[in-house]
Amino acid sequence: MSAKAAREGKFSKELHATIEDLMTRYPQKKAALIPAMHLIQKEREGWFSRETIRDTAELFAVSDAHVQGVVGFYDMFHADPVGRHVVRLCKTLSCMLRGADALKDHICEKYDVEPGGTTDDGTFTFKRFECLGHCTTAPMMLVDEEKYEELTPSKIDAVLGGLS
Amino acid sequence: MISETRIMLEFADDPAQKTLETYRKNGGYQALEKALKEMKPGEVTEEVLKSGLRGRGGAGFPCGRKWQFVPKTDKPKYLAINADESEPGTCKDRQIMELDPHQLIEGALLTCYAIGAETAYIYVRGEYPHSIGALENAIEEARAAGIVGKKILGTKFRCDVWVHSGAGAYICGEETALLTSLEGNRGYPRLRPPFPAVEGLWGCPTVINNVETIACVTHIIKRGGDWFAGLGCEGSTGTRLFCVSGHVQKPGVYEFECGKFTLRELLEDFCGGTLSGRPIKGVMPGGSSMPVLLPEELDCQFDIDSVAKTGSSLGSGAIMVFDDSVSILDAALNVAEFYSHESCGQCTPCREGSDWVRKILKKFKDGNGTQRDWDVLWSVTDNMDGTTICALAEALVWPTQSYLKKYEAEFKAAMKSEAGATA
Repeated sequence: MSAKAAREGKFSKELHATIEDLMTRYPQKKAALIPAMHLIQKEREGWFSRETIRDTAELFAVSDAHVQGVVGFYDMFHADPVGRHVVRLCKTLSCMLRGADALKDHICEKYDVEPGGTTDDGTFTFKRFECLGHCTTAPMMLVDEEKYEELTPSKIDAVLGGLS
Repeated sequence: MISETRIMLEFADDPAQKTLETYRKNGGYQALEKALKEMKPGEVTEEVLKSGLRGRGGAGFPCGRKWQFVPKTDKPKYLAINADESEPGTCKDRQIMELDPHQLIEGALLTCYAIGAETAYIYVRGEYPHSIGALENAIEEARAAGIVGKKILGTKFRCDVWVHSGAGAYICGEETALLTSLEGNRGYPRLRPPFPAVEGLWGCPTVINNVETIACVTHIIKRGGDWFAGLGCEGSTGTRLFCVSGHVQKPGVYEFECGKFTLRELLEDFCGGTLSGRPIKGVMPGGSSMPVLLPEELDCQFDIDSVAKTGSSLGSGAIMVFDDSVSILDAALNVAEFYSHESCGQCTPCREGSDWVRKILKKFKDGNGTQRDWDVLWSVTDNMDGTTICALAEALVWPTQSYLKKYEAEFKAAMKSEAGATA
């Protein structure tokens, strides 16, 4: 870990310690980048601002462009601000066959949000995601790290209505 | 009547199976103990060769032979376990990781022992937080009990097992992209040769196996290669996990011996037929990247080589069924959207071609497809096939061309007539 970044305390002490520990698992610390970025994103309000990209790059001794490239490549990293929660509704074949498109319409209408957008009150960002690997219990969605399967409009409302 | 043969899922219904105590009570870590104390590393590989185990990720490569490609060298060697389960329709590895994670850890240790590795990374897709949590808990318990780490079970063998989280990219399930991603980069596939077994993680020999493959290793060492080879059929030994999804009465993840039933028996008898009672229109037998099978093609025995004879593939064991209420235009577009979104962008034929195919299929869906579009679809897909670093382009080409071929009339009926041409 860059001594400078640690000294300036860009990230919380706990996060620094966790990332340092992750780095010891690999012969090259750069390998810890993606696991660490999940934790960094969480600490930085769910997305990678230019500042967060710079701090991450410094910590890993890689270029800003490298971190930016990683953010852009992986669907779970966000380059723009997100709501307090992230709702990921699976859109791929098995979920589509079980009615995921109608559920998307339901969410868009009821919560006045477009795919990729955030509700006006900032409660959640709505993403349509490619296959989330719960095909036999389709349709499904992830809300942050919790999963909900065999969805119906009323099941969705019970979950999304309870978010704060 | 078909029935399941549960080996990997034998204890999956017991929530306590996740704990080390219950896993050991049910015979867990006996295979590791036997291997470390009574077998040489080469004998573990011999046993796996004898079992006939083929990779469960999709390509079906003989597992023991892959291990034999690891050269004798002083460089460190690594095991990378592919848990980036992302092929649409596939959700089997999740069952192993979440319901019985120790069998994967035991298999990882056995494999490391066989190939001379001291580190295994389990690359789990980021969208599986429950799998990541279950594995981390299990590894922690095993480490505390002296099963992972130094002096494993009181022997000289040392081995670390780490969970590595991905972050949402289908391509990272491609084995060389998995390595690039694990090293902290965008997940770009690499040209082969060199093959990963020779030059993988950080330029060192690396064996990459699917979760289910590694779980099988545990049972092979525990009960013997001959026992495993006696299950299933020639070319598809042992049991396999199948994920049945889409329009069936009883979707689910099931464990079967291959070659003992036909696809029709599986869908109509075991899974209760279609949800609506309407006729089946098509079946994707091995994930969405494989050619579709028509209702009249379902009488093949369900094993790797028999399904290959139909021109399709058993792939990752994901069977997706759709009834005749589904428009093939919708299904084809959904599949194309997936692969064009997931193309890593390195190779022009895949990056541009997948998007082109998606756009034309959208035109067809909107009722604006023309004869010219039809011709372009064929020529673009022909030019994507075999012209890229990895197989993602083919993963779009194969199903798409199968839809065009097998449901030609439906595409033609949706075509708009052009000036000077007839629809």
